[in-house]
Amino acid sequence: MKASFLCENVDKKLSFVNHAVSQRSQLPILLNFHIQAKKGNLIIKATDLEIGIQVSIPANVEQEGEATVPARAFYDLLSNVQKGIIFLATKDNNLIFGTDKIKTVFQTTPAGEFPKIYEEKGGKIATIPEETIEKEFSSVVFAASPDPGRPALSGVLIKKISGGKEGFLMVATDGFRLSLRGTQNKNTESDGGFVVPARIIKELSFMKDNKDVGVYVSKKGNQILFEQEGSILVGRLIEAKFPNYQKIIPQDFSTRAEFDKTEFQSAVKTCAVFAREAANIIKLSILKNKIKVWASAPSLGETEIDVDAEVLGEENEIAFNARYLLEFLSNIEGEVMVFEMAGPLNPGVFKLKDDPSFLHIIMPIRLQAQ
Amino acid sequence: MMQDNNQLWKIILNEIETEVSKANFLTLFKNTSLLSFEDNVATISAPSTMVIDLLQKRFYQVIKKSLDKHLKGNANIIFVPKAINKNEDIGMGPLFVEVSKTPLLIGHLPKVRKDYTFDTLAVSSSNQLAYVSAQSVAKKPGSSYNPLFIYGPVGVGKTHLMHAIANHIYKETPGRKIVYITSEEFTNEVVEAIRTNDTARMKRKFRNTDILIIDDVQFLAGKEKIQEELFHTFNTLVDKESQIVLSSDRPPSDIKKMEKRLSSRFSGGLTVDIEPPDFELRTAILLIKAKKYNFDLPIEVAKTIAEKILDTRSLEGNLLRLMTEMEAQVSPIDVLLDKILKGETQIEPSYHHPDEIIKNLCNFYRIKPTQIKSQKRSASLVRVRQIAMYLLRKELGLSLVEIGNILGGRDHTTIMYGVDKIENLLVGEGFSDEIKKVVHFSKTGRTN
Repeated sequence: MKASFLCENVDKKLSFVNHAVSQRSQLPILLNFHIQAKKGNLIIKATDLEIGIQVSIPANVEQEGEATVPARAFYDLLSNVQKGIIFLATKDNNLIFGTDKIKTVFQTTPAGEFPKIYEEKGGKIATIPEETIEKEFSSVVFAASPDPGRPALSGVLIKKISGGKEGFLMVATDGFRLSLRGTQNKNTESDGGFVVPARIIKELSFMKDNKDVGVYVSKKGNQILFEQEGSILVGRLIEAKFPNYQKIIPQDFSTRAEFDKTEFQSAVKTCAVFAREAANIIKLSILKNKIKVWASAPSLGETEIDVDAEVLGEENEIAFNARYLLEFLSNIEGEVMVFEMAGPLNPGVFKLKDDPSFLHIIMPIRLQAQ
Repeated sequence: MMQDNNQLWKIILNEIETEVSKANFLTLFKNTSLLSFEDNVATISAPSTMVIDLLQKRFYQVIKKSLDKHLKGNANIIFVPKAINKNEDIGMGPLFVEVSKTPLLIGHLPKVRKDYTFDTLAVSSSNQLAYVSAQSVAKKPGSSYNPLFIYGPVGVGKTHLMHAIANHIYKETPGRKIVYITSEEFTNEVVEAIRTNDTARMKRKFRNTDILIIDDVQFLAGKEKIQEELFHTFNTLVDKESQIVLSSDRPPSDIKKMEKRLSSRFSGGLTVDIEPPDFELRTAILLIKAKKYNFDLPIEVAKTIAEKILDTRSLEGNLLRLMTEMEAQVSPIDVLLDKILKGETQIEPSYHHPDEIIKNLCNFYRIKPTQIKSQKRSASLVRVRQIAMYLLRKELGLSLVEIGNILGGRDHTTIMYGVDKIENLLVGEGFSDEIKKVVHFSKTGRTN
């Protein structure tokens, strides 16, 4: 292998591929990048056997070939070289890395030992614009459970919506809250769709190239693959059955409030200062024309903040975990928010006024009678 | 068979463990399983494509050797990506548990009675047109008749129909914004908005609705500012195809002191009237109401009541009375019935609203109701105010505190003094005649 490339081209992409390098794998090969020079491109891959990432960088390839190189050292070295042309060449069992001033010789492992990150791409199911990923995926994925012991809850359910506007229905839940985006129409069956590990969806937001992203699914390989201009993110699908989320979406409410999201968010943030000292409980009192956000801590005192709201229905009270509120509020964008509830023990529903496709449900905390 | 495979694979894994490095075993073999073994083909599952690739590259022979040894054959191995879920029966969290246990609260719209639905309304020729058009509005809000204007005398079911429309739309499409409001409440909201200088909020509230239902619009007569507000709201809503439903006790053209542009808009959609219920309908209403109270009403009895009583509301009142009497006494039903119906003709409904009395009183003395409630204390005004206190106390039996509130927040001792004062004055002949006239006028609005 003999190739040269511009350092500026590699920087961001290498940090993306670095996400797939396993941090403490017992298999030494997985601590490596796999670098391949081919047809004017340098293809860099990494995998931790759970996900795989591949990026490609334009390069001047004099001689095709491949090599593996210790990822950590390679990444650190490259981030210290700010700019300029970098040469790569294999010689015996070594990879030589050089600029006009630096010359580094890396030990390599035989490239053949590096696992393939995917067997086949699978069928293309959709093309999505990058901004959709930023906006839509991120408003759902945070609700997934970090616990791999409950496979279905650690993933995001993705269903393709057929007919009418093309798009996805996405749902994630950790059993305490649920985030949903995408228009529900009656044709969306309760089965079908894929459960994609939350980690892959999170990685997806690092795949930045201002280009559309192709989505491929291979039933045979039980895998999902995202491709954007030579960059590939691949992982397995979760086979567990996603819980029946449709059943828990409340259809009725006895109180409905409309309010400014930013105002509400800052009120919750302020109250969270007190809440974190006391089980993270934040109480919302929905009154005639406002919402009172309240938190108290035995050691600090208590605080309450009024948020103007347009309220329909009866006055009500409900308590939530501050963390859930904050995570949810920081992950979505919108101006006017709608909150609907039916009693202090039933899940509360947050919606965006201008975006009917979004829905967030949080399970309340049962407060002791005061 | 499944059991066999699992056990076999366990044995094989134990063997492999001794042959490969610990790191390899833990990362690559740990989550594998033998799915099937048929016709010399062993299907082995592993969690991901990458794992499979490594297994194939490095350990195909190791696995094959072990398999061959135990199965005494020449096995081919196929790998399939499949995650094994060991913990499938772990719960899904409270969000999913709670819901399956407790039925959803059936919420209902504010100010709308849940039991007023299309199913609970008795239909006959007198209200059929109104019933059908209300149903069609409820099914296709905004696109069938807009506005729907229902008029008819009291107690014919206008309000029931309007509630039914609201309930139906709410049930079918819960996300719709439905506002049901009486014209008095509408007036209050507008006045309040003007008073607090916050008309924007009020406008947003009414102009963003999908369905606006206003009951008894005839009460808006003479209130110009309110009419203007309704006029603009009306236009906005019709433009965005929101449904409007209105009711009144008379057709739009007959509502006096209603701006032309508004009343013409009222009749711009469909105007339907409801006539007072005929005998058959009254009987049906009685039977429906009786069913609601789980009371087994013989049809003959229902007919007898329906013959005598024309007003729908008192139908229910009499039914209730009959039911209570039957619980209390053992007399046969027709005896009780006679008693009740006889009483009915004697008792003249004589409910008067405090505002009505005050209004009439003010008309009599040609002053404004606001004056009587004001803090002004000119001699003539004080006298009228005291008469008002007296009337409210004697005619309506209101409490001193209530009267104080009605008359602009006065202390109950003031009211007590006022009532005493008039009582004392009644001893004199001239004044007593005047009071008699006033009492009569206040109750009827007529001088004779």
